[in-house]
Amino acid sequence: MSDNRIDGYARALFEIARAEGTIDEVEDELFRFARSYESSDELRNALTDEQIPAAKRQAIVEDLLGGKATSTTTQLVSMVVGAGRGRELPAIIDRLVARASSAKNLELAEVRTAVPLTSDQETRLAAALANATGKQVNLKVVVDPAVLGGVVATIGDTVIDGSVRTRIDQLKSRL
Amino acid sequence: MSVLGTIIRPMAECGIDANGDCVTHSPILPETPEIIWGGLASIIIFALLVKFAGPAIKKGMAARTERIQKELDGAAAAKAAAATEATQIRQAKGDIAGERARILAEADAQATAVLEDGRARLRQELADLETRTRAEIAAVGSRAGDELRAEIARLSNAAVDHVVTGSLDDATQQELIEGFIARVGAAK
Repeated sequence: MSDNRIDGYARALFEIARAEGTIDEVEDELFRFARSYESSDELRNALTDEQIPAAKRQAIVEDLLGGKATSTTTQLVSMVVGAGRGRELPAIIDRLVARASSAKNLELAEVRTAVPLTSDQETRLAAALANATGKQVNLKVVVDPAVLGGVVATIGDTVIDGSVRTRIDQLKSRL
Repeated sequence: MSVLGTIIRPMAECGIDANGDCVTHSPILPETPEIIWGGLASIIIFALLVKFAGPAIKKGMAARTERIQKELDGAAAAKAAAATEATQIRQAKGDIAGERARILAEADAQATAVLEDGRARLRQELADLETRTRAEIAAVGSRAGDELRAEIARLSNAAVDHVVTGSLDDATQQELIEGFIARVGAAK
């Protein structure tokens, strides 16, 4: 899929969510859904299989998100999957999140942790990252067991790695 | 009959010449007419012999001389041929001896070269073998070392994973997160 098309979808989803007045929630839910999509082969196969009719793929999305996400989020994901663009869903969502952050003059900060953060920790971490980078950040937390412990924060091209995984890898390479 | 008898008897048989002297035939010389006739006859016979038998005798002698000369020439030629053949044989003998010496010298040189070549090849093969053996020993040692290091690293990695993941309880997780927030917040 071309960048223009991904941008077009991202812009459309962003405008719909903004028009609905749920951009913050939708952006957050879409971001989480994209990470789940990336980490689950089963989900990815189900939403990108051309042999499965579009209606059935959309039904899968609605089953997954129904009651757990806003209807706007569900419908947007369903629309993308129904259009046969399931494979590009993470890229479209990442572009949408970047656009939303840019609209709020925020820098997207993707944070990966082994365990969920409390809201207090998220707030303090956002403040710490803002302090470190000199920019206000739009914090997106991804729970990733592969991190093992600690935090990995990615802000633009900057990566602040305080994960146990990395330390173990360094230790192993020294061994 | 004795010698005296031989002399006395002719005297007894002598004739008497007109003077009454005893005349006897000489025991040595024939009668004069006999000498004359005998001499003439001998001359005639000799002349006839010279005239008629001389050329044949001369021819026969010349043929004989020629035959003898031919035989002498043949013998000389045979002698010369024999001498030439003897020279050739001696020369061939000398050539054979020289050839034998040359072949022997050549064989010696070849044998020496082959021996030297064999020694050099053997030395080279020994050196190669030694080098290969050293390399193989080093490789085996290195491989063993690598395998040992890999095994240690694998066990160490497994131990690290086991120990670290086993010790990551909730309190540790929170401590790690708080530590990260504190470090990032302090940095600028």
